[in-house]
Amino acid sequence: MDSELAVDAVGVTKTFGSLCAVDDVTVKVEAGEVYGVLGPNGAGKTTFLRMLFGLVRPDSGTIRIFDRSWAADGVATLDGVAGFIESPAFYPYLTGRQNLEGLGLLDGGVRRDRVDEILELVDLTDRAGDAVGGYSYGMRQRLGVAASLIREPRLLVLDEPANGLDPAGIRDMRALVRRLAARGLTVLLSSHHMDEVEEICDNVTIMRQGGVAFHGAIAELRAMAPDPGYALSTTADDRALEIAAATPGIAAVHGPGTGLVVTGPAHEVSSYVSALVRAEVRLLAFTPTRTPLEQLFFMLTDTDPQEAEAA
Amino acid sequence: MSATDVLTGRPTAAGPTTRRRPGLGSALRWESRKLRAQLRVKALLGGAVLVPIAVVVVMHSQPRPPKDTLFGRFALDNGFAMALLVLGFAVQWVLPLLTSIVAGNIFASEDQHGTWKTVLTRSTSRATLFWAKTVVSVAFALVALALLAASTVTASLLIVGRQPLTGLSGQTIHAQRALELVVASWATMALPMVGFTCLALLFSVWSRNVAVGIAAPVVIGLVMQLVGALGGIESLRPFLLTTPFEAWHGLLAEPRFTGPLLDSVVTSAGWSVVCLAAAFLILRRRDITGG
Repeated sequence: MDSELAVDAVGVTKTFGSLCAVDDVTVKVEAGEVYGVLGPNGAGKTTFLRMLFGLVRPDSGTIRIFDRSWAADGVATLDGVAGFIESPAFYPYLTGRQNLEGLGLLDGGVRRDRVDEILELVDLTDRAGDAVGGYSYGMRQRLGVAASLIREPRLLVLDEPANGLDPAGIRDMRALVRRLAARGLTVLLSSHHMDEVEEICDNVTIMRQGGVAFHGAIAELRAMAPDPGYALSTTADDRALEIAAATPGIAAVHGPGTGLVVTGPAHEVSSYVSALVRAEVRLLAFTPTRTPLEQLFFMLTDTDPQEAEAA
Repeated sequence: MSATDVLTGRPTAAGPTTRRRPGLGSALRWESRKLRAQLRVKALLGGAVLVPIAVVVVMHSQPRPPKDTLFGRFALDNGFAMALLVLGFAVQWVLPLLTSIVAGNIFASEDQHGTWKTVLTRSTSRATLFWAKTVVSVAFALVALALLAASTVTASLLIVGRQPLTGLSGQTIHAQRALELVVASWATMALPMVGFTCLALLFSVWSRNVAVGIAAPVVIGLVMQLVGALGGIESLRPFLLTTPFEAWHGLLAEPRFTGPLLDSVVTSAGWSVVCLAAAFLILRRRDITGG
């Protein structure tokens, strides 16, 4: 028997005027998994998530959430679903607590002690009595998570949850998502950061210009990834280029600024560095450029999806 | 793996939720709570109480009465005439503005704050939210009108006096009867006030812009008054939303005539139904892409 699908979107298309924002997208998210929707800005991720929430109506295709659809079940489709689209928005003249209690009313009521517990979980207890208009971006982001959790969701949809956060905020947000996923919550998150999706997600759909450039497991994506690249700076770049040409599996070119960019399998790169040392070419800098998955992401999203599939 | 609540660790509902589905009452509580928290609403209600007092005091201190306005000739000597003079002034733009500041803002402010996506991703439907906002806006309009009327009549009677009123046909109306008619005259404002509320709601939904939602009904009201004052448009006048604002004149004539009041019901109801239907359809069919 198939696993229960939290999200079953098939052939979803949405056009705004002459712009096709989402083009025949199929996404299936199994209950309990952490699923990533990845793509550059304008790829159609947010429009797709808006359609899940019923904020935008698809022109064609079907969307079922825990086997419910907007056409048949109306707002009951969102039972067990929570999250936020882009940056969470609240009423600036109300306090954080008033916002949560008010939104709880729209869910059929929420106990005051649960609001307290959720505020504690997202570390907003001290500022709960302050008007949201004075909150920082990161605090609003955390209040957005709190507003989602008071619905006791089974599916949490987060649109670029780390957007605008400082490094500590990003770390905390990712840790929170992992903690929620460990509780068995299904998480569907969108991002334009490959490392975020790679770190958190089990499966991924990569979108490009409204269409799907890739969908599958992160492990599959890793297998498709190209060799890693390194920025190299030496005391004799021309000599380093000659040595690279003589080393099997290594390709080196002049970088965009000074120095070289070297690509190749990890063990060949290691041999190449040894050869440089033996030739008394001194290394001034040696740093990875992009991770292989990042390189793959740019390949998939900068080229035609069909060409990427063929590759 | 079944999902568990993030706080309690209890399994969350696997199928349809067991939580009580929120109805119109919950949405009404939410909308009225938001309204009560807004400074502008407190200021408007405070103004509806205080401004008429100031107006009556200033008018009463004038050396000459405004003879060219309805009941102006008697306003400095008669509290009932003063209350009716203020009413004649209020219908020009004060009443449409008073209701538009809330109704013209109530939908558009969700666009302004980007909160449509916040409220429409809960368990309350668009239709429920629409009716909650409509009911709260109409309730505010009626409360504001009641405060304005009560403050005007009370201030007029206390400052100017309770002498018998001279009616529009020159008849003398005793104080008790005059009070009833003045209160009834103010009460007839309720229907066109609801009509202007619905017009403001329509502009609020359609324009998604707070300024348009507030200003457009006031401007339309002024244009309608201008059109209504023109000659040769007798067939058009009953359809103007400002015409019901004059329906109270019949109450102060001898013999009394109530035909305009019945027309007022039809005109106000017609505008209200058409505006609400259009606003509902626009909101229902709209894609929420902003915010």
